[in-house]
Amino acid sequence: MNITLRMAWRNLWRHKRRTWLTVGAMIFSNLLLVFMISLQFGSYRMMIDNTLQSYIGHMQIQREGYNDNPKIRNSINAIIPLANDVRKKINSNRVAARGVAFAMASSEQRSFGLQIVGVEPEFEVNVSSLPGLINKGKYFSHINAKEIIIGSILARNLRVSVGDELTLLGGGRDGSFAAGVVFVTGIFDSGIASVDRSMAQLPMGYFQSLFGMGSHGHSIVVNAKDLTRVSVLQNKLTDIIKNNNKLVVLNWEILQPGLKQAIQADMASAWFMYAVLIVLVAFSVLNTQLMSVLERTREFGTMMALGAKPSRLGRLVITETFMMSTIGLLVGAALGYVLTYYLTIVGFSYPGMEEMAARFNLPDRMYPSISLLSIFLGPGIVFVFSLLASLYPALRLFFLQPVSAMKAV
Amino acid sequence: MLNLFCSLALAETIIPRDLIRQAMNHWRGVSSYSEMTMTIHRADWQRSMSMQAWTRGDKTSLVRVISPKKDAGSGTLTKDNNMWTFAPKINRIIKIPSSMMSQGWMGSDFSNKDVSKSTDIIDQYNHKLLETRQQNGHAVYIIESIPHEDAAVVWGREIIIIRDDYVLLEQQFWDQDNILVKTMKALEIKIMGGRTVASVIRMGKVATPEEWTEMSVQKIQFDISYDDSLFSLSSLRNPRR
Repeated sequence: MNITLRMAWRNLWRHKRRTWLTVGAMIFSNLLLVFMISLQFGSYRMMIDNTLQSYIGHMQIQREGYNDNPKIRNSINAIIPLANDVRKKINSNRVAARGVAFAMASSEQRSFGLQIVGVEPEFEVNVSSLPGLINKGKYFSHINAKEIIIGSILARNLRVSVGDELTLLGGGRDGSFAAGVVFVTGIFDSGIASVDRSMAQLPMGYFQSLFGMGSHGHSIVVNAKDLTRVSVLQNKLTDIIKNNNKLVVLNWEILQPGLKQAIQADMASAWFMYAVLIVLVAFSVLNTQLMSVLERTREFGTMMALGAKPSRLGRLVITETFMMSTIGLLVGAALGYVLTYYLTIVGFSYPGMEEMAARFNLPDRMYPSISLLSIFLGPGIVFVFSLLASLYPALRLFFLQPVSAMKAV
Repeated sequence: MLNLFCSLALAETIIPRDLIRQAMNHWRGVSSYSEMTMTIHRADWQRSMSMQAWTRGDKTSLVRVISPKKDAGSGTLTKDNNMWTFAPKINRIIKIPSSMMSQGWMGSDFSNKDVSKSTDIIDQYNHKLLETRQQNGHAVYIIESIPHEDAAVVWGREIIIIRDDYVLLEQQFWDQDNILVKTMKALEIKIMGGRTVASVIRMGKVATPEEWTEMSVQKIQFDISYDDSLFSLSSLRNPRR
């Protein structure tokens, strides 16, 4: 072992209590950072999953330009065969074709304008949580049924319940009048007011005939197994549709830019708090090392008189900090990992969360998300800042005069 | 000679509000019957519908689609700013709620409001004559109309261009940020049913020049007397040939 390392190690344990206090501060802040960052990542994942699974999905195949200009004529021809083809090629059932149109829905007493989505009942359940949110009635019986499912607020506004009749009136893809009579078969309650107020679903077959769509539709929703596999799957899909240059594959970041922005905004505010924690730890390290340098002025003076260069002493001080920080990093990350790992199994909840989560169709427990990044990001930064904090005490040594230092009190 | 005299008389006592009223009356008469073709044009497709229309006074009208076959029999009835539509496919009459009045009428660029409330401009706006111009031997009046504070109107202002023989040449719709949103223009002026009228009218949004709706009038008769029952829901449902 190098002499500097050995000296640093001994110096550390000459003041056991002080060293342990500083290391303890690091361990504590690292533990806190690992826990909070993992929880934060976990809640983002939950936000993304829930938002995307309710309707948008991870990816959509659309006609180029449809996302910016969602007009009924910007459609994909033979959409159901295409969806079948995609299903076969990626060997997954999380693929569903949709069509979108606008219509006025009228009950006996009232009329409201709403967005009508045509869906494949058999596959929609694999990509969207909406079918599972039907709390009255049931989902479609088959793809050509003259049935509609509507949101709970719309049902209340129209004063209809399951089994009642609704009249739809709108414009078809070919410019003709779209008019139809459908029966309310299910009422969903997503907890998102705008969806519950102004969205309805029809089975795709009937949707296509009602709106003069022929075999057209507007999007194919494709979900990956989890969020981390989105980009791989996106490449695969792009490859599948590359023969048709009018189609594009868009991922959720493009389909739902607000979600990414919300996450970034939240991340920014969270980092503010982390920064405070990190700066506090850095100052406590600065304090320890400065104390130890000032206290050991005579010792350093003697060493210099014996021929030690200031750079060597500086290295010594930094090595001491390095050792403390490494202990803090390893122990903090390890404890953080253990705590977080425990929470990924049992989940994390706080009082009142259950009620709130149930309203928004979220799981009632949060599960932190463990990754190398979430474990080492916080402690890593603490480590770097601790080393930076030891620079000042180390630099002070360069201004030490051996004679006066040896006489210092 | 009479015409000249009229326009001279008009020029001396221009009250923009009266001018607009005259133009409206000129176009509608006390009552009118017309046959027209509506063409909806989009960048990649186009569609024409032929229809019949009956009007009486400012606020009563009945329009019925004759062709294409798929939509034949569909129609709308407007009465006192209310609008009903009939869809033969489902044999229902549906009242258009006020929230849907700014939507396109029969899929066109004319809104339901344009079709049903076009005379609101007389009562609910303040009018100002901006300019008088000479054009092809006619005097042309350019009028700015700004809705009253409390008017239920989506526009910030409208510019109306009327010829001295009461032909409405152009109507511009400006939004509250003073941006021109859409214009309605007379593309062809003809003598029909004994009056000089705009026989082809095009409505188009300024932002999308590729999208417009054209109304071309084949036949129009003025001042016919109708039975009251013509403008009723049952006549909307059951056309009397």
